[in-house]
Amino acid sequence: MLTLMPIFAFAHNISGANARFVEGLDGPAVIPYMYLGAKHMVTGYDHLLYLVGVVFFLQRLKDVILYVSLFTLGHSITLMGGVLLEWNVNAYFIDTIIGLSVAYKAFENINGFKQIFGFQLNARAAVLIFGLFHGLGLATKLQDLSLSADSLVINMLSFNVGVEIGQAIALACIVAVLGLWRRRNSFQKQAFAANTVLMSLGFILAGFQFSAYLWT
Amino acid sequence: MNSKTSDAVVLQTSKGRVLLAVLLAFILAAVVLTVFILPAEFNRDPLGLGEALGISGLSQPAAISAEKVRKEEGAFHQDGVSFQLLPFEFVEYKYQLSKGSSMLYRWTATKSRGGDASAVSFDFHGESHEVEGYEESYSEGEGDHEGGTLIAPFDGIHGWFWANHGAEAVTVTLSTTGFYTESLEFRDGFVKKQMLK
Repeated sequence: MLTLMPIFAFAHNISGANARFVEGLDGPAVIPYMYLGAKHMVTGYDHLLYLVGVVFFLQRLKDVILYVSLFTLGHSITLMGGVLLEWNVNAYFIDTIIGLSVAYKAFENINGFKQIFGFQLNARAAVLIFGLFHGLGLATKLQDLSLSADSLVINMLSFNVGVEIGQAIALACIVAVLGLWRRRNSFQKQAFAANTVLMSLGFILAGFQFSAYLWT
Repeated sequence: MNSKTSDAVVLQTSKGRVLLAVLLAFILAAVVLTVFILPAEFNRDPLGLGEALGISGLSQPAAISAEKVRKEEGAFHQDGVSFQLLPFEFVEYKYQLSKGSSMLYRWTATKSRGGDASAVSFDFHGESHEVEGYEESYSEGEGDHEGGTLIAPFDGIHGWFWANHGAEAVTVTLSTTGFYTESLEFRDGFVKKQMLK
């Protein structure tokens, strides 16, 4: 375990003291799991970068809600399914795909699919599908905590609710900043560069997680 | 299929700009990964740049454990002794420990008759072999027991002085384990050296 610590410290996991605390709890613990879910989302740069990509060009609140609901639906299905059915997916492998989802969204944002492939997967479908992968990532983090079986469902639901609260908090900030930025004249030019950087960050995340998958 | 146009402002891009963006994103990611992340996090340094920047093996567990583990060639020893001290008698008992070697210890002082705890004066200290006449006190005072770990701060002999200032005979019982090689007992003006097996 010690040899893996430096990697775990850097990877986006539920950290040592938090993990030991909830593992020491017996029975239902609604608030601690809710808090952990919210914290995981608010401090989760992989999920946050993806959300930035998703809402980058969404101007109407209605669209923000629609896209984020699809993402939420996707990640809730696999978070709960993964935990309940005890899917044993490799966390690094899933986190690699989550990194690629960031790059995908940025590529979509600069209209890459139509310019290069002349075809584009429905953006809403893509958000739902990548939501499923993000949920699998959440499930692996929750499974690391070796939940006690008797209150598994309630704790998992609490975690999921916490994730949505954290997501709402993060989104409010992201949407507010993007809204201010969008009003500036330079937005169109900077938007292209910003999505290029976002794509690069997605590649870096994917490369980092895939290296961890290969070598740890 | 094409719902995106209805939801979002689409950037006016061209094939060339998109290809350039992908290329730039990919090159930036590749540079960050090979120069920083792979050497620092995974100790893989394909270009040797991590070594040049001094970040190779930043997260290697070996670097951490080197501070926490001190390797010893020889076997460790265990020792248990007890001394009876009449009123106003004293004794000193020490171990040869080289710098950085460690020892676990625990001693108790009890009345020789009856076995109740009985305080003695003690001074846990070391005498250096490196600097002539240098002594350092680790723990001193009055008490009927003490236990702990010593990591020898210098090459020398390290141990206890116990004195009975009470009116009754006291028995001091010491047990230790550690990477020492010999013990020395100073009592009544004599030194008794003992190689420990």
